Amino acid sequence: MTGARTGAAPRTCALLALSCCCAAAPAASARAASARIHPALAPAAPGVRTAFTFAYSLQDTEAGVPPPLRSVVVHLPLGLGLDLGGAATCARARVRRSGPSGCPQRSVIGRGHAVLEVHAGSQSIPEEAVVWAIRVPDRGGHSALAIFGRGETPLVQQATSLATVLPDRPPYGSMLSVSVPAIPTVVYEPDASVISFSMTLGGPRAHAGGVTLPRRCPAGGLPFAAGFTFADQTRALAAAHLPCPRRG
Amino acid sequence: MVPMRRILAGVGVMCATALFAGAAGAAETVNITEAGFSPNQLGMPTNAFGSATITSTTGPVPSPISHVNVYGPAGVTLDLNGTGVCTEEALRQRGPQACPANSRAGFGGGQGIYQLGKELVEEKYTLDFFLSDNRPGHTKLLIFLSGSTPVLVEIVLKGTVITGPKPYGLGFSVDVPPIKVLPEASNASAKTAFLTLGARNVAYFRRVHGKRKLFHVKGIVLPKSCPRSGWPVASQFTFEDGSTVMAKRTIRCPRK
Repeated sequence: MTGARTGAAPRTCALLALSCCCAAAPAASARAASARIHPALAPAAPGVRTAFTFAYSLQDTEAGVPPPLRSVVVHLPLGLGLDLGGAATCARARVRRSGPSGCPQRSVIGRGHAVLEVHAGSQSIPEEAVVWAIRVPDRGGHSALAIFGRGETPLVQQATSLATVLPDRPPYGSMLSVSVPAIPTVVYEPDASVISFSMTLGGPRAHAGGVTLPRRCPAGGLPFAAGFTFADQTRALAAAHLPCPRRG
Repeated sequence: MVPMRRILAGVGVMCATALFAGAAGAAETVNITEAGFSPNQLGMPTNAFGSATITSTTGPVPSPISHVNVYGPAGVTLDLNGTGVCTEEALRQRGPQACPANSRAGFGGGQGIYQLGKELVEEKYTLDFFLSDNRPGHTKLLIFLSGSTPVLVEIVLKGTVITGPKPYGLGFSVDVPPIKVLPEASNASAKTAFLTLGARNVAYFRRVHGKRKLFHVKGIVLPKSCPRSGWPVASQFTFEDGSTVMAKRTIRCPRK
């Protein structure tokens, strides 16, 4: 999934290689919902600007569809630079109203896709959505992003999540704290649940914003982790390591 | 899918009655806990919803339902352009997965009940509504009723879109066969039911001259005006014990 979004074949190969090496570890929680994360970097060399793809998948083996998601916290490795300095900002209200088409091109710093699902009647009904990461004005002195998603069928629906970049404790350097709104479906049926999500930030084709790989890499590789909180207040955790980028 | 499909009782239709019923009659009592349109805006596509509890004045198990007519307010229209249809055979043999996404019309569910010896057994059920004919004036529905615990039950009911007597308009009519979950059990009844039909923001992709095009489906469209007293809705349902209850309710007009 992550490899498919990079486009160019050589990069796809490199990214796939990294993705395969990373051990996405589902973590136990109090309930059956579980998470897997799939970080990927392409190209991967110390200190270079890169395209960073972060993907996750959620499942609930008991209920079939996991509960609706309320928040995600993504922990990024120390030294992985998330540079939003060159990006224009777009007002949050404008993002909510019009999505990327209502914002400056240089405020769109990432793009991806998501699959949502709702259990209605006896069926689990999926909906695919396109997602964009858009730079919005800082929140409380911290860089902020809006993640705007739009699905078209079976329901025309859009939703905007708000993400804030915050400092983190080692072995992580920063974290992305994302609040996810309720995504209503029809009366009496549950809100939509996120099944999978993938977003690519930066890279040579990005209009603005960028991700820089660290010059140094810890012995165990680059650590990533994520925590997911669901509408029923249950949580799921996942972690993964990417092998250290090779020089030259 | 599940290999064996049994015919379950009036539970499915109870949900339909849930939409608009509000009165009591004979030994059965229907208490409508909610009914409305979302959004509730004049002339706009909408989602019609309702929920109800059903009780008996003579015992713990209400009589099973054998037939239901549900009437919406006069002036409500159906615009099914862009929808598809599902066949009864496909739904019976393979379940809801067999039906095209654009034939979905709504969902529902509730709590069913039947007597097994001296024991009362309750079972959750779900409802999936599909269009089986989407031609104006000939619209028909298929309703897939299913329950899984403690006993697997799956049944297909057939509904017809009808026009009710004044002051009502479009509605639908469903015959409900006796539903025996187990040979030694009583016919199944419904204790609670909910129903949600249509939506304001439905869309499907279709190929037009080789190009993929998004079609917006209006579905249930509210009238462009609302009587001062609100929109009258009703449900007439017949129970297996021979009694008939006509329940009426009014949905408040949209705020200007």
